[in-house]
Formats: sequence, structure tokens, C-alpha cells
Amino acid sequence: MSTSTPTTPTKKRSRWDAEDDDDEPPVQASSKRRAKSKQAKSETPPVQTPASTSTPPPVRPEPIRPTHSVYVPPRTLHPALTPSRSVYCYERLNAIEEGSYGVVFRARDKQTGEIVALKKLKLDEEKHGFPITALREINALMTCKHENVVNIREVVVGDTLTQVFIVMDFIEHDLKTLLTVMPSPFLQSEIKTLMLQLLSAVAHCHERWILHRDLKTSNLLMNNRGTIKVADFGLARRYGDPIGVGGLTQLVVTLWYRAPEILLGAITYSTAVDMWSVGCIFAELILKEPLFQAKGEIELLSMIFKLLGPPTAASWPNFQTLPLAKTITLPPQQPPQLRQKFPYLTSAGLDLLSRLLTYDPENRISATEALQHPYFNESPYPKHPDLFGSFPSAAAGEKRRKPFDSPSAPVRAADHKLLTDFDDV
Amino acid sequence: MSITIYPLASLSQIEKTPSREDGIPPELEEDLRAYGCKLIHEAGILLKQKQVAVATAQILFHRFWYVTSMKQFGIGDIGMGALYLASKLEECPIRMRELINVYDLLLQRASHTTGSTSSAQQYSDFKYVPMSYFGSTFYDLKDALVVAEMQILKRLGFNVHVVLPYGTLVNYLRVLGLTSREDVCTRAWGYLNDALQTPVYALYPVPTIVSAAIMLTTRHLGISLPSSPENRWWELFDAEWEDVWSVCGYIMRLYRERDAEDQKRLWGTAETLNARGRTAADI
Repeated sequence: MSTSTPTTPTKKRSRWDAEDDDDEPPVQASSKRRAKSKQAKSETPPVQTPASTSTPPPVRPEPIRPTHSVYVPPRTLHPALTPSRSVYCYERLNAIEEGSYGVVFRARDKQTGEIVALKKLKLDEEKHGFPITALREINALMTCKHENVVNIREVVVGDTLTQVFIVMDFIEHDLKTLLTVMPSPFLQSEIKTLMLQLLSAVAHCHERWILHRDLKTSNLLMNNRGTIKVADFGLARRYGDPIGVGGLTQLVVTLWYRAPEILLGAITYSTAVDMWSVGCIFAELILKEPLFQAKGEIELLSMIFKLLGPPTAASWPNFQTLPLAKTITLPPQQPPQLRQKFPYLTSAGLDLLSRLLTYDPENRISATEALQHPYFNESPYPKHPDLFGSFPSAAAGEKRRKPFDSPSAPVRAADHKLLTDFDDV
Repeated sequence: MSITIYPLASLSQIEKTPSREDGIPPELEEDLRAYGCKLIHEAGILLKQKQVAVATAQILFHRFWYVTSMKQFGIGDIGMGALYLASKLEECPIRMRELINVYDLLLQRASHTTGSTSSAQQYSDFKYVPMSYFGSTFYDLKDALVVAEMQILKRLGFNVHVVLPYGTLVNYLRVLGLTSREDVCTRAWGYLNDALQTPVYALYPVPTIVSAAIMLTTRHLGISLPSSPENRWWELFDAEWEDVWSVCGYIMRLYRERDAEDQKRLWGTAETLNARGRTAADI
């Protein structure tokens, strides 16, 4: 910006000052037309300004206003074009796990000393250049930055073109391992907090047109401060209208968490597949073990039919139009077993679960709707993340002392947490 | 709606591009950028690729030359790599073989056009000689394509997020009450597409570029919009006058008259550069 601007900034300012004399504070929308002041660009980013507009201007003659629409960040907020750094900026510590398409290492940033997770992508034997799945994963992570999505820091490269690593924040636990090692299941208040976090992450991804397609407890990481992070976007992809060349593949989502429409061969599934997985995770948090532990797709379908009762024309109108619907024979009608399976869940909780595990994808609850569900507003209320206990991290190589070794008073969840707290020291 | 922040070239990257540091004259760089984008565009049409993928490829292509010198890679290879990558990003992947064939055809035709004297001859007697199915040309080009794609990713730090301007144009035209004028919509849309041949998408945020397209359109068609100091229409879209004006300059420069001599010199250089780029990439 230069002084050659046709308008004099002062003129504009004075008009706005006049507005300020009114009792009513200016609404944010009216400030879309921005003040052309020289400092505008160096001023605080617009996101922070709504708070400051409400505070009375003590020293400054004019209150700080957003100079830009929140949808148009100033030029300075756009990152520069920055090439990938070398993987040698990190010091390798230990391997965490080996997935189907890459190894995850724990590593230390040599400059800052921070501990991170490095995921090495398997790139050899690629016939089609850089794999589209890896591209989707990187893009999804970059697009879906959120408190409850694992943070991608950067992508670094090794010596040759076949070595690419995704650098992410290191998170101590995954929910799957945690559920198997913790002696008693999560409390209802804890489950509510975890579900709220999961749902807000999923809502965030769906808002950005990203399907995760592999939600399961082993892909939910949890730190020692009661926060879960959705991770592993290896199967994620953008969806939209139209879907794109070739439709969507049915080879997604780990079997136990796979929605019935995918099992029946739908090629135009959408966000509802993630919501089914969320339902399975919700059930798993309560049961402390996976809900549908099926060995194959047919067994899974029959388990679903058994728990929820077979689909009817009313519960799933489009059932017969699915490619594989003709190939299976529905068992005779029987009432759902959901209540028997979850005898201690409140009726609001059961309602949320049955809305997540709804046959018809059109009627299945969305993440945004689920966040508003009454289940989260009834006692016991969601527990504050800071009140969660901490556990020794298997990924960081920390060993748990046998928790029941020491003679102790009757074991309660709280005591267990106290005990394990010492393990960290 | 979500706010997604895409990368733009920094001030120092704009002031001295790697090519200029390497002794390539700025005008030549500008022309090579435009030519590379035309190739991407033509290839996109021949491959029946979606415009979103073509536009994404062109934007990635421009970003690339803010971190790499044109002496290091050829615009043909990088254009090809950008289109291949963008097709994956936009979920409409293309086959390597088809992309390579199309680029081979385009480059053969370009060298034919450069070599011929009269413009009538340029288009009449061009005959495409297909490469042999298992010949080394194909494998050389394939290697170059894989390297180009990887280099684009690596040098852009894998941040290949691109925001296209079309949705914004529709919104802005609605706000300005211009959607009923078909000539306005078509022309502004055309300016946005032509701007893809210029580096503006790597330099300015989308609202500024869209405002420039509207500015050129309304000025050309003699439509007046509020421009008095207290309510200037582009301020509604968070655009700066100087930036809008600069984008207009970039776009209008595409249409300037060129004498034949000038054109030929540039194309000749483009060819040599392209050939040199290929060998550099092979090593």
C-alpha cells in the first residue's frame, strides 16, 4: 500500500469514529469494508479482532477493526513457497509401529529438541509416480488442521526420491492399546469427552469435504492430557459432487468398523460411512472391546443384523437397490438387541448409539447433529480433559509396572491412575 | 465455509526468481511460463481432462518456477509433471502413456512450426510420427515425468493445495448484480483462464485476481461500478487497488502484439531450453 491511494484514510476513519459514538457496538459484518490505514497489514490478524472490538478502546483513539473479511486473510498470512527439508533435521529414536504402507518412527528435531513422529511412506515399486493415496493423506492432514486431528508439521525427504517422511506431533497412546491395558473401562463422563472430541474432528473433516474412511480405535491417538487426535488418513479422500472418475472403492474401512452400505457394494457412499465407524467406536469405548469382531463380511453382516434386527423397507428404503443386496438372504425379522447389549447406558446414550448405527445412510446422524445430542447434556457431564489420568506410553518405550503389585486399598479407577502416574517419573 | 490458506511466493522469491539469478532474462522467463501453460492447456484438451485439473496444474507450474531455475528443468517436463500431479489431486488421474504421447505430439508440432517459414505451411504439412511402443523415447519421457512430479512435490514442500477462482467469481458477480449479463460472465471467466498463463495465481490471493478479471471486463464493456473514494467496489472484496491493477497488467501483457522475429527468437530459445532441461533431468 502506498500513499498514492486515492482515498485519504483519515476521511474514512472519521466516518467510522462517528459510528462508534452510538451506544451500539458495531457489528462485525459492517466492518467488511476496511479501513485503509498504513499499518493495516502489519496489524493483528483478523481472526483475533472480534474479541478486541468489544473491549472499550482505552488508549487508542480508534478501536482495532478487522481489516479483512475473515475469509480473505491478509497477504502476509499466506505461507511462502518452501521446499521440503531433509530428514536429517531429525534424529531417529525408535520405531513405533509398522503399518501396511509405512513405518512410523519416533524422532527428535535436532534444532528444537521436540519429539515428533516420522511416518515413512513406501514409495518403491510405484508404477504410477507418487502414489495417489499418499497424496490424499498429506493433503487431508494439511486441510483438516484441528485440535483433535493429529498435527502434520511438514513433509521431509531423504537422499533419494523414494524416501519421503510425514512429520507429525508425537502422541503417546493409541486408544486401542489403551483400552486393552487399562484395568477398567472409561467412565461415562470420560466417554462423553472423547466422543465430543472425535465428533468435532469428524465434523471438521466433513466440512472440508474429506472422508476419513478408516476410523477405528487404533487410529485414534490420545495424549496424557485427555485429548484424542484422529490419525492415519491413509485411506482418506476428498469427496464431492460428482464423485469423480470410477466412483469410490469398497475396499475401505477396517472390517469391524465398516458401514453396511459399503459391505453391500455401494459406490456412492458419503460421510455416513465415517459416522457408522464412530458408532462402532462409541460402543467399543463402553464395552472395552470391539463391537463387531467378525472374521468376514458375511459374518459381520449377520452380526449387525442380529444386533439391530434385519433391515426393513421402512428402516432402509434403498436397501434393495444396492449391488449386493440380492446376493444375501435376510434372516427372519427379530427385534434389535441393542438394549440387552448395553444394559447400563442411559436412554439418551442408547438413542445416540442407535442413530449412529442406523441402516439408512440418509438417516444416519451427521457429526454436527451428533455434537448437539442430548446425551452430552445430561449427567454425568463430560469430564474436563485435564482431569484424565495418564498412562505409560508404549510407543515411547515406557514400561508399565504391574499395577496390582503393590498392596492397595480396593482398586478404583482413580487409584489406578495415581499408581500409574508414578510410572512416568 | 472454511478458510484455507494456500502458499504464495514471498517478496524475496518474487524479486529475484531462480531463473533470473541464473541469467535468464525476465521477459524470456515470462514467455516460457506462458508457453509452458499453453502446452498444459492444450494437453488437457487433447486428454479431455477436466479444467479444474488443468488450472491446478498451471498454478503448480507457476509456483515451481519461484523455487527452481528454468536452466535446471525444462518447461515441457515440469508442465507434464504438473498435469500428472494435478490430475491425481483433483481425483481424475490420467495414464502416463497417454500424457506422454500427447506431449510428444505437442512438442513435435511446436518444433515443426518453429522450423517452417510461412504460416500456411505451419499447419498444413505437419505429420505426427508416433514413438515406438517400447522405444527409448517413451522410457526417457516416463523417467522425466516421474522425476518432474517428485521435484514439484519436493520443492513445493508437498504443500500443493490450490484454490481455484471460479466459485469466487460467481459470488462476486452476484454481489455486483452482474450475473444476468452473459457477456460479462463469459468475459470475466475468460480473463481468469487466461490469467493462468501468468504467474498471478502464485503471487496474489484469489479475491484480488477475481477483482482484476471483473475490472477488465467492466472497463472493456463500459459498465460503471461504484468507484468513488468512499465506496469502491473492489474494497468490498478485500482487494488493493495496486494489486488489482498489477494483475490487470499481467493479463493484458498476454495480448500484446509481437513481431514475428521476436516470437521466433523466443520459441527457438524455448526449444533449446527444453532439450537442455531434459538432459539435466535424466542425469
